[in-house]
Amino acid sequence: MAWSYAQCGAIALAFWFIAAGALAAGTSEDGESAKPNNLRISAILESEGAYGIARDRASKLEFLIDPQLEYRFSEDTRVTAIARLYSEGFDYLEPGRPSQAEVAPNSRRLLLGDRSDIELREFYLKTLLGGTHLTLGKQQVVWGKADGLKLLDVVNPQNFREFILDNFDDSRIPLWTVNAEIPIGESTLQFLWIPDRSSHQLPQANATFAFTSPLIVPQAPPGVAVNLRSIERPNNILTDSDIGMRFSTFWHGWDLTANYLYHYADFPVFFQSLSLGSGAPVATVAPRYERNHLLGGSFSNAFGNLTVRGEATYNTDRFVLTTNRNGGDGVIKTGEIAYVLGLDWFGIQDSLVSFQVFQSWLLNPANGIVREALDTTTTLLLRRHFWNETLEAEMLWLHNVNFCDGLIRPKVSYELRDNMKIWTGFDLFYGDHNGLFGQFGRNDRLVIGMEIGL
Amino acid sequence: MQPKMPHMYIALVLLFPIFAFNAAAETLPAGEEIARRINARDEGEVVSRLVTMTMTDRGGTERVRETKSFRKYFGKEKRTVIFYLSPANIRDTAFLTYDYPEADRDDDQWLYLPAARKVRRISASDRGDYFLGTDLTYEDIRKETKVGIEDYSWKTLGEETIDGHRCFLVEEVPVDEKTATELGYGRVHSWVDAEIWMVRQAKFWDVAGNLLKTTQFKEIKPIQNIWTAHQIVSENHKTGHKTLFTFKDVDYGQRVKDELFTEDGLRRGF
Repeated sequence: MAWSYAQCGAIALAFWFIAAGALAAGTSEDGESAKPNNLRISAILESEGAYGIARDRASKLEFLIDPQLEYRFSEDTRVTAIARLYSEGFDYLEPGRPSQAEVAPNSRRLLLGDRSDIELREFYLKTLLGGTHLTLGKQQVVWGKADGLKLLDVVNPQNFREFILDNFDDSRIPLWTVNAEIPIGESTLQFLWIPDRSSHQLPQANATFAFTSPLIVPQAPPGVAVNLRSIERPNNILTDSDIGMRFSTFWHGWDLTANYLYHYADFPVFFQSLSLGSGAPVATVAPRYERNHLLGGSFSNAFGNLTVRGEATYNTDRFVLTTNRNGGDGVIKTGEIAYVLGLDWFGIQDSLVSFQVFQSWLLNPANGIVREALDTTTTLLLRRHFWNETLEAEMLWLHNVNFCDGLIRPKVSYELRDNMKIWTGFDLFYGDHNGLFGQFGRNDRLVIGMEIGL
Repeated sequence: MQPKMPHMYIALVLLFPIFAFNAAAETLPAGEEIARRINARDEGEVVSRLVTMTMTDRGGTERVRETKSFRKYFGKEKRTVIFYLSPANIRDTAFLTYDYPEADRDDDQWLYLPAARKVRRISASDRGDYFLGTDLTYEDIRKETKVGIEDYSWKTLGEETIDGHRCFLVEEVPVDEKTATELGYGRVHSWVDAEIWMVRQAKFWDVAGNLLKTTQFKEIKPIQNIWTAHQIVSENHKTGHKTLFTFKDVDYGQRVKDELFTEDGLRRGF
């Protein structure tokens, strides 16, 4: 059951009191934060509300507090802990108590009823050992140069409760990871060992952003009952762990990386079988996570007022749903080559025009697959700063060429004071409801939010 | 002969200011020489410091940013990295720049935005863009107390006193329209300390000829025998916006690792 408007109002009021109190407590009379040398305590408070335009109802009222503590033992050694208290008033994004079955037990949120939870977001030790930078603990590792869509940025899984509308920093699920970075001159060699078995957290069927697109969810033929089995998860901390490597360098003006990740893909593969149960056909869906080798790289360079950047990946084991059920299990396995090429133009003062093209090419497409062998998505970002960067106006447009669907996100944000930002904007979906974006055609929304740094 | 004397006196009296001006001009160093002296001034191979940026708008609203900044020379190439420490919502934002000695080579710049957790390569050609909401441009930040000799034609205008210090007044005009557009300045007047060869004050006009901003370098004191400005105030006369840069814990002797000046160093943070 959703909160009443009175409850939402009370929570909002409490949030503001906490913010004001923390602001006062954290600031001394001369305006400088009181903090010991080795200990840094800070917090981010964020609130965002959304009004669903097509549904004609408030669709989100979110409060989030991220306290952060950092203790520095020495110049090279420090420990960081970031927690999160999250509350959402209407309970449409994750109705009831989410099972968190996709997340490893030691990485799950502690649920406080249907609408609130506490989470240890990140907790890691950074140190320098024999010239190697070690980061040990729960953390985010971000690869790649692309904006908005992910090719190389797949080390950490994601919570899709708001599809891709949430900041990736907020929606990424941090993983328990051993991260070693070895500087070699102008280059760095990074090794990752990730025993954490968490995967994407997908919205349940009655959630606002539940996936319905046949690209992701298998569609049962008419008249066929569905028996959905629980997800078969990898659970051996050693044999099922992910490993990754990245070599990065700066060469003749080019930022270059070569990446390798041996991992379980974070979307489950929905293997299907048809049987006759008590006379009626039954489709049994058995979701399972599958291994993949990812080989890739990225680059960027600047030429005058133009910046060029890109990523390319080769995935050995991509599983794509198919409607051809002749003796198959509803999916086909194929290799995939994907790339993104981006151009950022800084030709107008205080402005950015950024264009990207993503293409994914299946190497072994079979008849009946639910997507075309070549899938193309473009993005356009227009951004301009005003008034010494206190006001920012931007418009992000993502468009899938194959389904002619997309997402348009105009947004204006204003820095009200040095540690407080407010914003408003729209998230507008359009196009074929079978497409990745078009499936959320009824989820257009107006968003208003604010953030305070303490 | 006698009747001619008054004419000679008149001529001498009339010509005296010209002789006197020329004699004074001969004692003043040429503009380019002053620029070379500025750039030859020792600024240490390495420096680390805490920099507080206080930005005040026309209405008096203040925004304060605390940063830790490092600069190191790799041969003649200057690398600067700035890590934001507070406020919390922009903490870990970081900026890295490579300033190359070759005039025909574009500098390289990167920006790390913690909200995206990605390092973004940014163009270094729009040198006149203002640096992260302050009243100094990216070019000003890169050059610090040095100047771009090749970007301007230099002319010494005279001598004036600033804060009790004898200064040469130098006029800098961008060498061409493209450079002026890139820098965002149509003309600059700099008051350069005649003893320590540091700019104490500079006035900037935009490309349309309007007075744009005034920058003052204050509290100039020697640290480890290197003259160091502890305050920089830059005021934009068009917008009424002002930025005060305050430098603390300036250290020219600290060991600063090379890897701090890399894309990965930017991401790892300070």
